[in-house]
Amino acid sequence: MSLSSPRTSPSARPPSRVFITGVGVISSLGLGKEEFFDALEQGKSGISNVESFDPSALGREHAGEVKNFRPRDHLTAAESRRMGRCSAMALAAARLAMKDAALTPDQIRGPRTAVVIGTTMGEAGLLEKLEHAWITRGNGAIKRSLIPKYGSTLLPIHIARAMGAEGMVLTLPGACAAGNYAIGFAADLIRSGRADVVVTGAAELLQELQFSGFVRLAAMALDRCQPFDLNRQGLILGEGAGLLILESEAHMMKRDARPQAEVGGYGLSCDAYHITRPREDAAGSIAAMRHAIETSGLTPADIDFVNAHGTGTRANDLAEARVMRDVFGVRPVPISSVKSMIGHCMGASSALEAVSCVMTIERGVYPPTIGYETPDPECPVALVANVARCGKADVVVNNSLAFGGYNAVTCFARPGVLPPPRNRRRSAAPALAT
Amino acid sequence: MIPLLVTGLGVVSPVGIGREAFFASMAAPRLLQTEALYPAETFDAAMYPNATIAEVRGFDPAKYLGDKGLRTLDRLTKLLVVAARLAMHDAGFKKDNVYVQGSADRIGLCCSNAYGSLEAITELDRVATLEDARYINPAKFPNTVANSAAGYVSIWEDIRALNVSVSDGNCGALDAVACADVFFDTDRADAILVGGGEAMSEALYLAFHSLGALEDGTRLGEGAALIVVEPAEQAQSRGARVMAEIIGYGTAFKGPSTESPLVHASSDAMERAIQFALADAEIEPSAIDVVASSLSGVRAFDDAELAGIRRVLGEGVCVAAPKMVLGETLGASGAMGMAAALAWLEGAAAPAPLVAHCSKQGRELGGPRPERVRTVLVTSMGFYGNASAVVMRRPDLGTESPNGDARSTS
Repeated sequence: MSLSSPRTSPSARPPSRVFITGVGVISSLGLGKEEFFDALEQGKSGISNVESFDPSALGREHAGEVKNFRPRDHLTAAESRRMGRCSAMALAAARLAMKDAALTPDQIRGPRTAVVIGTTMGEAGLLEKLEHAWITRGNGAIKRSLIPKYGSTLLPIHIARAMGAEGMVLTLPGACAAGNYAIGFAADLIRSGRADVVVTGAAELLQELQFSGFVRLAAMALDRCQPFDLNRQGLILGEGAGLLILESEAHMMKRDARPQAEVGGYGLSCDAYHITRPREDAAGSIAAMRHAIETSGLTPADIDFVNAHGTGTRANDLAEARVMRDVFGVRPVPISSVKSMIGHCMGASSALEAVSCVMTIERGVYPPTIGYETPDPECPVALVANVARCGKADVVVNNSLAFGGYNAVTCFARPGVLPPPRNRRRSAAPALAT
Repeated sequence: MIPLLVTGLGVVSPVGIGREAFFASMAAPRLLQTEALYPAETFDAAMYPNATIAEVRGFDPAKYLGDKGLRTLDRLTKLLVVAARLAMHDAGFKKDNVYVQGSADRIGLCCSNAYGSLEAITELDRVATLEDARYINPAKFPNTVANSAAGYVSIWEDIRALNVSVSDGNCGALDAVACADVFFDTDRADAILVGGGEAMSEALYLAFHSLGALEDGTRLGEGAALIVVEPAEQAQSRGARVMAEIIGYGTAFKGPSTESPLVHASSDAMERAIQFALADAEIEPSAIDVVASSLSGVRAFDDAELAGIRRVLGEGVCVAAPKMVLGETLGASGAMGMAAALAWLEGAAAPAPLVAHCSKQGRELGGPRPERVRTVLVTSMGFYGNASAVVMRRPDLGTESPNGDARSTS
């Protein structure tokens, strides 16, 4: 199908390799990939007291809140007026990624560039403002100009407009796995010849109703997130944006750009089990990880490091430990959760963690899981505990699970490591006549 | 593209629930603008005299799903789960809610929604604002998350291959078709339920009412529609009944030429989306018998969409406006357009009355009623410069070309 412009002989063309040529980050640990990963490498925590609202009555006051982000440092005045904070973080991260890729909008303008963004709730902060005015002061108090700015649909629209992209604009609201949904789908758009460049990733905002909801679900820890620890108390929320520039091999070579990593396959599945809890047997999550590895043309023996979803909730970490045992057997594949440092950034988390995976490949460093004190015998994983570690990082897997039973796993590799992508396109069978 | 076959439809709409009821209503469409106004059922509309709403009146999900487990589900979820259940049965995958063909691990869902469950968000916001955030109901909190309704569809219908939530405003349900095509390309599923849902709520109505978007006669609607699509070999292998083929898709985005506006109707984007869809389908503009447009009564958007359609298909093409019968269902609207197209392609209904109505609004849409609908272009116009289009065709029009691809004979 023609997502942006018609393909020629789609079934005859071998699938293109897809490379990441730039990444951009807005996070509680800093802006830009170097600041972000330097802090992760050093085991710094971005978790602090929440300042954007008063959560004290809820008995929880900490989050990975982004405190040093000023939209006007990255956006024009008109752009700042047009969009809410979530979109602003997304656009700022997209600009950082463009700069990192040494790309200018002139080079990607037109219908062969798509924008695919993940999020859980998009501009939830704007909706909160509208609802608060309406609930407390009635219909007349609603600020009309805010209404069109609400909607997760807008995240890729704002980016496409700023970049001159005229292909597909799509939001994939895949909850806490949204970033991986977006990156995987974006890679498929390029692989199948439907786009040359995709600006992708995810963004999420820390917002009061979501914060309250996680507290009411008894899923939030008091002040720190300790994935895989015996005494883990739950998650700590966060916010931010992680954006990546994905390019076809031909587009990248034409402009003589440097690939930072290759995007391998990805796996999707749905538990169809419970709206918030993963399956106890982790069958869906296992299937997604196996599929990500297989569609990369690899076997589990090829995987060097796993970026865990690692939320620090009892159910998640147990399920993930089961996935590691099932997929990798007795081999102790290093695994770590950066949520111990930046919190659970919901829809943005797997995109921010994809950036971390790219940096792991670039630097050969596994970021640590901080706050790890007591091993949990039910989670016997080869955790990179408390201190970063150097290691082989040719192929890295990025795991994510989400509300709704959503599972999505992506795979990234050092350029030159992956086999050529296979053409899995279905056969062109004749249509049925009734 | 390699055609995808449509083998089932599940629809919950203001004019009927289920394929047969929906097709019957489309055969004798009653224009919303001439329909009597009913009191809103989904919220207290006392503050909104003459509220222009197209609700699924008398919707009783228990009739389809049983009584158990519905208490904490929001309206969006119930609309979508019922549509999915009907689609799974219509396609022959299930009988009495038990799989009789296919398997859960190979059936997926690509589901569009534009605004989430505003009903659920408002309910929790009211508690948090007027009482205390400590009192919000944790069982209802998941409903506030954008993919919650789609997640419940998987749980209720046991759909596991993949579950992908899509948001692109009014274009989302057509984009979901493109997502499914990508997922078939990569062999992720044997069949995918594709479409979308949108639920009425006071917050949704108030937003459009406040913006003056309902002043030209647009009726805000709700509903859910899911079509079952399969690659030909899958449908053939299980002997499925084929309702139509999807043979092309296109999308485009075009921002405004000036900095300030956010809301933006782009005839250029519509024109390009249609051009790309026709090229993808490998058909000429003259092959299109009728356009299932997204004309809804909002003048600027209708004018831009018509301009884009006419630039590609000419002045004489027959343009229908299903939203004049079904209401503006936003994230579900592309799926409703495809459902209407199925009714026309199956010969169960003719699009002509819709054309007549649009003309009443001062728009001369031209195009005589086609005697036989063979190929339909479904269009969706977004609020921000986005547009998408899908080409659907009667299944008996596909012929085998020398290289094995299905080509149009039109």
